[in-house]
Amino acid sequence: MSKENKTVTINIDDQILEVEKGLTILRAAEQNNIYIPALCSHKNLTPFGGCRMCIVEVEGMSGFPTACTTPVEEGMVIKTHTAQVQASRVEILQLILSEHTSSCLICEEKDECKEYMGTIRKAGVTTGCRYCPKDGQCELQDLVEKLGVKEINYPIYYRNLRVEKDDPFYDRDYNLCILCGRCIRVCQEIRIANTLAFKQRGPKTVVGPAYDRTHIDAGCEFCGACVSVCPTGALSEKVSKWEGKAEREELTTCPLCGVGCQIRLLIKKNEIIGSLPAEDPLVNNGQLCVKGRFCVAELVNNYQRLRKPYKTQNGTKVEIFLEEAVELSAEKLSACSPEQFGMLVSPNCSNEDLYIAQKFARVAVGSHNIDTTARTFYGTGFNAFLNLMRMAVPLSDVLKASIILCIGLDTRFGRSVVGVELRKAVERGAKIITINPRHHNLTMIAEKEFQPVPKMEVNLLNSLVMLTEKKKTPTSQFRSKRTTGSLSGELSTVAKMLKEASAPVFLVGSEFLQYDESPQILEAVEKLARNVSAGILPLPVQNNLFGSVLMGVYPEFLPGGFSSTGKERIDNLRKRWSADVPNFSSQWNAETLSSGSRMKVLYFIGEVPPNSRPPSDFLIFQNIYPPDISYEPDLVIPSAAFTEMDGTFINGEGRIQRVRKAVDPPGEALPDWEILCRIAQKMGIKGFDFSNAREIYEEISSLIKGFGDFDNTKRKANPMICEGELNIPETRPSRTKKADKKFPFLLSVSVGEHTYRGFPLSTWVEGLKKLFTEGIIDINPEDARKTGISRSDEVIVTSAYFEKIWSANILSEQTQGTLHVTLPQGESIGNNPHPVKIRKKDV
Amino acid sequence: MTNKDYIDIFSRFNGEEGDLIPLLQEIQEKFGYISEEAIKNISRFLKISENQIFGVASFYSQFKFIESGKYTIKVCMGTACHVRGSLNILDEFRRNLHVEADETTDDKLFTLETVNCVGACALGPIVIFSGDYHGQMKIKIVRELLEKYKSKNEKESETAV
Repeated sequence: MSKENKTVTINIDDQILEVEKGLTILRAAEQNNIYIPALCSHKNLTPFGGCRMCIVEVEGMSGFPTACTTPVEEGMVIKTHTAQVQASRVEILQLILSEHTSSCLICEEKDECKEYMGTIRKAGVTTGCRYCPKDGQCELQDLVEKLGVKEINYPIYYRNLRVEKDDPFYDRDYNLCILCGRCIRVCQEIRIANTLAFKQRGPKTVVGPAYDRTHIDAGCEFCGACVSVCPTGALSEKVSKWEGKAEREELTTCPLCGVGCQIRLLIKKNEIIGSLPAEDPLVNNGQLCVKGRFCVAELVNNYQRLRKPYKTQNGTKVEIFLEEAVELSAEKLSACSPEQFGMLVSPNCSNEDLYIAQKFARVAVGSHNIDTTARTFYGTGFNAFLNLMRMAVPLSDVLKASIILCIGLDTRFGRSVVGVELRKAVERGAKIITINPRHHNLTMIAEKEFQPVPKMEVNLLNSLVMLTEKKKTPTSQFRSKRTTGSLSGELSTVAKMLKEASAPVFLVGSEFLQYDESPQILEAVEKLARNVSAGILPLPVQNNLFGSVLMGVYPEFLPGGFSSTGKERIDNLRKRWSADVPNFSSQWNAETLSSGSRMKVLYFIGEVPPNSRPPSDFLIFQNIYPPDISYEPDLVIPSAAFTEMDGTFINGEGRIQRVRKAVDPPGEALPDWEILCRIAQKMGIKGFDFSNAREIYEEISSLIKGFGDFDNTKRKANPMICEGELNIPETRPSRTKKADKKFPFLLSVSVGEHTYRGFPLSTWVEGLKKLFTEGIIDINPEDARKTGISRSDEVIVTSAYFEKIWSANILSEQTQGTLHVTLPQGESIGNNPHPVKIRKKDV
Repeated sequence: MTNKDYIDIFSRFNGEEGDLIPLLQEIQEKFGYISEEAIKNISRFLKISENQIFGVASFYSQFKFIESGKYTIKVCMGTACHVRGSLNILDEFRRNLHVEADETTDDKLFTLETVNCVGACALGPIVIFSGDYHGQMKIKIVRELLEKYKSKNEKESETAV
């Protein structure tokens, strides 16, 4: 194609411009730095033509076309700022303002206000009126300034709508709304979440979900995309409402799940005031979930952050200097024998922290006793999960897939950027199949949905494995009685779809991970993937699970994911570190923490031990938040949060991502690696003289292939390499029975997965308490009717082994005869699923 | 409204986005209004979010979201009726029924509505009471009409017993 066909020549304000064909006048003007005012237009959204601010004069066209909706044509002559156009704009803006509170826009004292900030409230500082959270960042304000509107010639009409503050994270004051529709378009076009719509019409038009539902009830993901595009103060973030404009930004990686979204931290002075998605085409592409968008600032700024180390002396807290804390730890650790030492590190720590932690355990203490709570989270299915991670494909493959099988996946609050990609894939023509025993947010886009009752998942998956087998196997052992009839028909259809698809992708969420049968389920997924040559993308809950294996923070793994039983590998490490590394002999791990023998020193880095203090003489607790009182650690050391340190993470796809220091840590807090290095140096151990994270990174690179350049942002995703397996008893002694007369319901349990450094996020982030509901039991309406239970009743749940009281939620998507509850990490009910009976608690 | 009712209605459609308005009309025809349950079912059938369906439905004044009373009173507010005092007629209904426009009385007997011209301007102010046209309405007739329909209702319920 010749060049002429792709471009057109137009004339804007007497400038002859050659612009791309198909652009609108507004975009063409923007590209050539010609200013046309606009309110409803947004670079990522389709043209709307609602605010009428961008009207221009075009020769030969009648009236004033809107620049944002009119495409350029060859030879167009456009005038953007004629007297008539300007006058009309002023009129239109006045009309908009007649329904918008405008005390900050039009005020007799406006000029003086800029200088003196006259404040009529009783206040310590003069700030001006500050009626609107968007003050100083409002597009309407800018426009009033630019067009020089000084008064409003129309009667003022205040809509007097109730300010909506019931939902977490953002407030909605639709009295400030100008109905530009940006929030609706971003919700429908970019997020494809369709939570917002225009309701009613004419002067009654408002934005919101159906009826007068709250956003929680309407299925909102709380991604905050609407808040980001709002040109006025109608939508405002609760936490940073009055913080004003950020002074600078820092690009970093979100540590709140295994997707690894790139976020922009907004910084004012030495404080994070918010976070926004980065336009990273490799991972999140300008999208975030509720955790990355709204929780980061609250999480790292909480007033309860640890600032100074303290020790417990005769039952009382004594604040000490960091130097003393380092000395005390060095003293205790020097006296500790390798077998009597145990260290738990968080898979939320950076690779550098993890590497130093295992080097510390192996060299400074001479012990392989280092582990993470990922082991208890994944339980018996951990090896199977790691096997899936070895087969991980990049997220970009999901974009190309024609069939996507989602196993136990829900993308409402966690991993919602993956949900957006799935919805985009469906619009592109891809088909989604879901397997999930619980209700989930993919129902609307699923082509086929399977909701197996607990304990039937393995059967269902195995049937699929059987049906997709390349060679016909004569045995039909999977042809269970339960997979007959329509279900078996459905299964063959899906099997056929999978076999015929060119590049199917499986996404593995976290629904099945705590089930007793999780190893069998995950193995079946693996087999199925091999049968149909599908790519698998497991979406780990812990952001740096990959890194934790690769850095070797498990008794069974050395750096590089090598097995610790390999003698050569250990010899190699001895040479590289020029230090003595013991041969592998470890019986200790996170599972045996509470039940095992008494330890001399336990060291928790970013981990919170379950329930109560495990048996130990000296407990060091190193975290960003104080421990629960019941742990009574002997020494508490403050660490830096991810916003306060440099380093790298590896996400679920296997992409190395950079974490950048944005602000200084509070008080005496330091990154975990630095604290460990100081202790090691105090103990007189060599090989810990690092002065920054880059140096550690370079040592890791020399040991592990493929680490490369610290600052490279365009790294490829690589599936996990790890040799050997974790030492996990194959099957736990099973006492699971099917539901019977005595215990007629099957209760399945998932564990609250939204944590950071061992703490549930909802402990520190107020709004999440409303979203992540723990201790609430889902009951089918029919079962609820029979047992006389209604919503938010207290329910006594009894099994042969426990009795618990939870609050009821009636959910039509819960299969009859089954119950479900989410529990905080560390709490367990034994077998999962578990036969139970329920009754309403008498008042 | 049972599931079967919905299945019946849905079976006549292909499940495309464009079916939304005809579907809403059929449901309104059959059930008299669009319930939350109806929106939920349409959402599942057409794979359009409930919020969008409500957005579309609330745009058109023909769709109702609350169950109508037994008798619907439509007061014309068109220009011709307006100049002949339809506002006073509406006020009289509001006073007697203790409801605002677009609301239903507690006994579910009357729903008061306003319309913007029924094309019978020569008869204005006009009121359509349960399908019957009452031209040149006067305030004093309002109560008579209400009494008439109340006793009609009582008679009907007696015969039903």
